[in-house]
Amino acid sequence: MPTDTITVTNLSKTYKVTEREGGFSAAVRSFFRRKYRDVQAVHQINFQLGRGEIVGFLGPNGAGKTTTLKMLSGLLHPTAGQAKVLGYIPWDLKADYLKSITLVMGQRNRLSWDIPAADSFLLNQAIYRISDEEYQKTLKELDELLELSPIMKKPVRNLSLGERMKCELAAGLLHRPQVLFLDEPTIGLDITAQARIRTFLQEYNRRTEATILLTSHYMADVTALCERIIIIHHGQLKYDGGITDLSRKVAPYKLIGVALGEVVDCDLSCYGPLVQTDNSDGKQYIQVKAEEITSITARILQDLPVHDLTIEDPPIEDVIERAFQD
Amino acid sequence: MLRIYRRLWQVNWAEQWQYRANLLMYLLYWLVSPIVYLAVWTTIANSRGSVSGLTTNDFVTYYMTLLLVDQLTSDITIHILAYKIQDGTLSGELLKPVHPILTNTLVNNIAFKVLIFIVLIPVWSVLYLLFQPAYSTVTVQSVLIALPAILLDFGINFLLGATLTCLAFWTTRVFSIAEFYFALASLLSGQFVPLQLMPPIIQQAARLLPFQFYIYFPVQLILGRVLPETILSNYALGLVWLAFSYVLFRWVWREGVKRFSAVGA
Repeated sequence: MPTDTITVTNLSKTYKVTEREGGFSAAVRSFFRRKYRDVQAVHQINFQLGRGEIVGFLGPNGAGKTTTLKMLSGLLHPTAGQAKVLGYIPWDLKADYLKSITLVMGQRNRLSWDIPAADSFLLNQAIYRISDEEYQKTLKELDELLELSPIMKKPVRNLSLGERMKCELAAGLLHRPQVLFLDEPTIGLDITAQARIRTFLQEYNRRTEATILLTSHYMADVTALCERIIIIHHGQLKYDGGITDLSRKVAPYKLIGVALGEVVDCDLSCYGPLVQTDNSDGKQYIQVKAEEITSITARILQDLPVHDLTIEDPPIEDVIERAFQD
Repeated sequence: MLRIYRRLWQVNWAEQWQYRANLLMYLLYWLVSPIVYLAVWTTIANSRGSVSGLTTNDFVTYYMTLLLVDQLTSDITIHILAYKIQDGTLSGELLKPVHPILTNTLVNNIAFKVLIFIVLIPVWSVLYLLFQPAYSTVTVQSVLIALPAILLDFGINFLLGATLTCLAFWTTRVFSIAEFYFALASLLSGQFVPLQLMPPIIQQAARLLPFQFYIYFPVQLILGRVLPETILSNYALGLVWLAFSYVLFRWVWREGVKRFSAVGA
């Protein structure tokens, strides 16, 4: 038995893409002589995931996240390097491997467009050879968590984005996979639906000890679900570790929020750079180096009629953005 | 496995049923050429008495049988699957622990046939009344001998069609290649004219190629116009083509999936 559920070693993927200038003459020239360019989507990345871990796989658009997920699920053959998931080489596409994993990508993947999701679920039951008893039990659980009953009998084409995502997730989880690759599982959903999917994933992970690798552009997904994140940029691994450690590493500062007791014409910028925030709590925020927190807080309390004062970590969005830039 | 096919049947039948209007249009489009050939050849045979020994009734029975056989042995894999390869939506099927073509696409083909026959049978009955074919050579025995051939011929057509579709892994121009293949198939399957009216060299080639199995061989079997020794040798050749098509398909599929870059899925 492998100790790690997922092991990635020097995994690389290079795409060969055709390119040409715009315009008619360039189109004619490219008909006779095509120009190719190598695009390195993923370059020698290494990481391991243990059983039951939920890891956020982050990076800006085009960083190589989806390419990596596709390689790990078996859809893409890598150009170099190795990967093992549950002891299998993913791109061998062995039936036993495919029965143990799921890849949920976008909104239109596992469900037939023209028929109700319930029919696709039954098809999955047959394809994954799930016994009737097991199927009913899992469907009941999924129904409790995702409230599928009202939507699974409507043709998929008539479902809203959020309803479709719920059904996609359910279709991908009926066979109780041990490894979940989720590419933007909450994209396009409203805040309530996002929260519901997050709660569901936490609960699924708790109940089944499944390993989850997920990409998301919503930091709320990441902070709610993942203790560990992996950051990839230009196809290379930039960071692998805890979220709090990342804050310490790339953004070693905190925010001091100050609400003054009376209207005082006061400029807090003499204590540190002012920061614009979305908070509507009436506080002004300044950015202060971690080691100066104590002294600056003491000065503020001494100098000003403070009504309320808080010390906060920088928003995770800022931290991640800094990590991408670094 | 039977359970998988049963469920696939339910899903594919429901899906095909959604597109019944498209299917009707397809059928009307497809009916045009055999009916035109039927009309042209019967007119010629009527005016001359016969064409190379074939009487008006020979043409009528040939084309009337062709209308049924062609739909039984035909394959629509390229229309089901090529776009899924090109736009990446094959991903979802590729990650299921069953072969997408040998399960889903196969059943989709069969569901299409059943639906086609629901419409084709009334149309065929009207044509029967119009052209009044005399099926004097058709016997229970000739039909029974033809049934396994129809199954075999669909198998060859399906596997070669699937192989052709797999070229979409390499090129976005798969439909252009397919057009050439379909043209060749029309010529050498006996769709334009019964193969015995073709020049000898084309007849020789057609005898060895798989296309005669799509139409000419099963039609002639039903009509009881094949010599016993030819029946045996053609069945043997058909089995060879089936085995070859299967091996070729598995190889092209394996190599194609390796190339699949799943863009835009």
